[in-house]
Amino acid sequence: MNQQDEFRRHAPAPLPSSEIRIPTPYQTVLPNGLTLVIVEDKRLPLVSYRLAFRTGDAHDPAELAGLTDLMAGLLTEGTASRTSLQIAEEVERMGATLHAGAGSDFTTLSASALSVFGNKILELMADVTLRPSFPENEVELTRQNTKESLKQQRAQPSFLANEMVSRVMFGDHPYARISPTPESIDAIKRERLVEFHRSVFIPNNAVFLIVGDVERAAVEQGVSKLFSDWSQRDPIADRFPQPPLRNTRTAYVIDRPGSAQSNIVISNRGVYRTSQDYFPLLLMHTVLGATASSRLFMNLREEKGYTYGAYSNLDTRRTAGTLRATAEVRTPVTGDSLREFFYELERIGNEPVTEKEISDAKSYLTGVFPIRLETQEGMIDQLVQIKMLGLPDDYLELYRAQIQAVTREEIQAVAQKYIRPDEAAIVIVGDGAQVIEQLQPYCTNIELYSTSGKRKEQTAAVAAAAAPLAANLTGIWALEIQTPFGQDIPATLTLEKTDAGFSGKVESAMGQGDLANVSLDGQQFQATLAFAMEGNAIDANISGSLEGTRMEGTITLKNLPELPFSGSRAE
Amino acid sequence: MPENFQLPETPIEQFTLANGLRVVLSRDPAVPVVSVVVYYDVGSRNEKEGRTGFAHLFEHMMFQGSENVPKAAHFQYIFNAGGTMNGTTSTERTNYFETLPANQLPLALWLESDRMRSLKVTQENLDNQRQAVQEEKRLRYDNQPYINAFLLINELIFKNPANAHSTIGSMEDLDAATIDDIRGFFRVYYAPNNAVLTIVGDFDSNQAKQLVETYFGSIPRQPVPPPVDVSEPPEVHKSQDSYLDKLAPAPAFILGWKIPPRRTPDHYALALAGDLLFAGESSRLYQKLVKGDESVVSIQGEVDDRRGPSALYIFALPKPGEDIPTIREQIFNEIKRLATDGPSDDEMEKLRNTLSNDSVRGRQSTLYRAQRIAEYTLYDGDPHLFDHELDFYLQVTAEQIKAVCTNYLDVANRVMLDVIPATEAESETGAAAAASQTNGAARQPAAPAPQVPAGPTPEPPSASKVETPLGDSSDGTPEAVPLSDPTATVEPGSGPVHP
Repeated sequence: MNQQDEFRRHAPAPLPSSEIRIPTPYQTVLPNGLTLVIVEDKRLPLVSYRLAFRTGDAHDPAELAGLTDLMAGLLTEGTASRTSLQIAEEVERMGATLHAGAGSDFTTLSASALSVFGNKILELMADVTLRPSFPENEVELTRQNTKESLKQQRAQPSFLANEMVSRVMFGDHPYARISPTPESIDAIKRERLVEFHRSVFIPNNAVFLIVGDVERAAVEQGVSKLFSDWSQRDPIADRFPQPPLRNTRTAYVIDRPGSAQSNIVISNRGVYRTSQDYFPLLLMHTVLGATASSRLFMNLREEKGYTYGAYSNLDTRRTAGTLRATAEVRTPVTGDSLREFFYELERIGNEPVTEKEISDAKSYLTGVFPIRLETQEGMIDQLVQIKMLGLPDDYLELYRAQIQAVTREEIQAVAQKYIRPDEAAIVIVGDGAQVIEQLQPYCTNIELYSTSGKRKEQTAAVAAAAAPLAANLTGIWALEIQTPFGQDIPATLTLEKTDAGFSGKVESAMGQGDLANVSLDGQQFQATLAFAMEGNAIDANISGSLEGTRMEGTITLKNLPELPFSGSRAE
Repeated sequence: MPENFQLPETPIEQFTLANGLRVVLSRDPAVPVVSVVVYYDVGSRNEKEGRTGFAHLFEHMMFQGSENVPKAAHFQYIFNAGGTMNGTTSTERTNYFETLPANQLPLALWLESDRMRSLKVTQENLDNQRQAVQEEKRLRYDNQPYINAFLLINELIFKNPANAHSTIGSMEDLDAATIDDIRGFFRVYYAPNNAVLTIVGDFDSNQAKQLVETYFGSIPRQPVPPPVDVSEPPEVHKSQDSYLDKLAPAPAFILGWKIPPRRTPDHYALALAGDLLFAGESSRLYQKLVKGDESVVSIQGEVDDRRGPSALYIFALPKPGEDIPTIREQIFNEIKRLATDGPSDDEMEKLRNTLSNDSVRGRQSTLYRAQRIAEYTLYDGDPHLFDHELDFYLQVTAEQIKAVCTNYLDVANRVMLDVIPATEAESETGAAAAASQTNGAARQPAAPAPQVPAGPTPEPPSASKVETPLGDSSDGTPEAVPLSDPTATVEPGSGPVHP
């Protein structure tokens, strides 16, 4: 480098920073209980509206999964005075948008338009909110198309992974369901939609957010008038069972033969959004896997080249959550990827993050914050979540201070509390026969499923994968059995693979017997032993495990102390 | 359009450095952030035969270090300064961009200039990024239903390999790329005189100019890259084919037409004809097929914006048991109706308002503005088109829309591609039919990169949604900060969280 380019050696210092102005939203509650939040933003002649209700897919009765989704989708398919086509034409003739959609915790109706059309789109919003007609033909069409979409989503490996993770992590909690079934869709009748709309689309369960080129007083008056004929009812409470505790590491393999990759998701229990552990967890997540400079990405992609991206995911919803680590990797490195994932998951709990890591993570989180607020949609997204997830009204103002307050000790403490590799669920969508063999060193409890979500017998795939292990246990073993009399008795253990499973026998100077009910579990075996000792038939149990190249175990005889044994393969 | 409506004027300052780097500044102090983008005039259309996917692989290499920036440090510098970043490759160009707190403008210019002047390539990094790109291909193409069919459609529309092959390229070609290829490509295309730098956001104009000169001024100019030949005969390459898709759960089909380049009167009219046919729920095809006949689950379309011959696509997902030739006939009938009767007054009003709305809404973000301004500067030499291209669309008449439907769409010169689920091909039609089909496994399809489907139904290909080094949030907006967007928070895990 020549002298002139000396200045390029180091990253330049930042310029003096300017203050970020976070607008203070205006907030009021209308007589019918509808909360109204307004942010005037006159930079461009645009307005964005969002009407959000505190009920979502989680509130669907189990047998009617999809009820909230269908109800939301059908709002724009006909009202007392407009047909589906009229609604679509009116909205699009203004160049505006009007959509409804549901997530786990809340349902939103969103509209946006040039501000000159602000009042017209608001009137349409009120019509579809208050007077949807759920026409029978539209209900039926939505049912049909939804069922086709259910088929399509099963072709997406990411959907299959998310479905299984949700199922095993949330158990009886409704977050376990991420999708309707054809049966639940068929069970949703028009009368039920009408009734459900009446009971959940209520003003005292909703927040109306407006960001854009509006006059506050005028728009407040407009909303009050349009939504005045709307009465309160008792809202549905979030009364859900707790997600299950987990105490073992279990793998759930979704067998997708011929899959081009393995989609890996490793999950632990997490927290709900308003948990006091949220900010330490957010910092931990940022160091571990939130971005392309986090540990998981740097390891699995930049160093190893296993994947296009490896990330962690902090899933914090209103009533529960999960922590997840994910990557899509080429099939032959599925096992290697698990090794690296578990290395990183252990490390984040075992060692404190470095000073540089925590300060980088804080700088990232506080720096990208204003980028989120550049657009009306960005601002309204933040406000909706504050309102729907129960965050304090000064959340945006305090956000950066709360990030700055987190310490390295707190990060390690939440890592130890929540990142529990030995209790993790490992979900892998991939080619079962190739995946299971690679998985075995990292997990001995393996459940196999089909892409339809049904439990599969671990027939061909698992038997094939178990073969190398069985080969380690089968054969002839020369053992020493320790007796209570202070003397070791030599014995020979023979384990054989048969069509029906495994068989075996024990021969010693004391007597001999056949093994029955042999079960193999990873590196261990168990069996019953019908032992003939000096003419007497004695029932015993035998179990053993492979410790390196040695076999160790015990024989348990009725009314006698356990007899430990150990030995190695007979020459 | 409402009569009092006026598109706000965007401030533009434009200059060219002595080495040929074109620079555009657009100041907006509303939010203390700044977006910096660099566009290089190289895309997959510049690739040679046997090196498909190379422009995109090279884009990955631009994050692997330069004289003063270690491997992968680019990500680190940007994120640690509180910024977001990414890069993408399309048929037309390769772009790199970051949005940062406004006071970090020097950092962005330092990083972009260091890799423009002194990219470092090693065999190890090339091998590593080749693997990352191959996993990207598996993730976004080979492990997804329908997507590879979207790549095939361009091979059927276009005859010229420069236009026909995909931006992601083939596994074999990616394997064949050497470190000498990388070095040669850098020398030819990554020169200041082959690039545009745009800065939009909160900065002091004089200071920004000075910083640009300091960081970029001494990078030497290079010979002008060889011209690219994207010429096409009017006829499509092959008008009919089928694609055996082992991941598709149901049959589908794609239609494709060859249309004139962007920024031509006919292209503008065709883009609007496309909107009338397939954009939104009031569109003609949605109302005819999803609603009226109830014969398809979804119908989507897209118009590609290329500098050379371009394309218009329609993708339909029929309901089970529906007759595909009949549905196709209905689509052709709707096109004929538009060609015969032309658009209604209501439809023209819809087009005008939608164009105005979209123009205004897009410009909220500094990154969006910087990207569009850079494109107009690179392709057309005129950054002011950011404000004025809207006029070209608004001037299109109903007569013109009618005429382009007659001349370009209601014609036999088009492509029909059937996507056949492999399971169906085995069980139904037997060996004879299967033998005549293009086999998905055996064939390397190509085309502009399609968008990865976000929901259950796939989306049509798009030249604007393209290969990226980090994932598909092409605006580089981060996820969980401070609250992830509703879909990400509420329904996580449906895929990786891409920064």
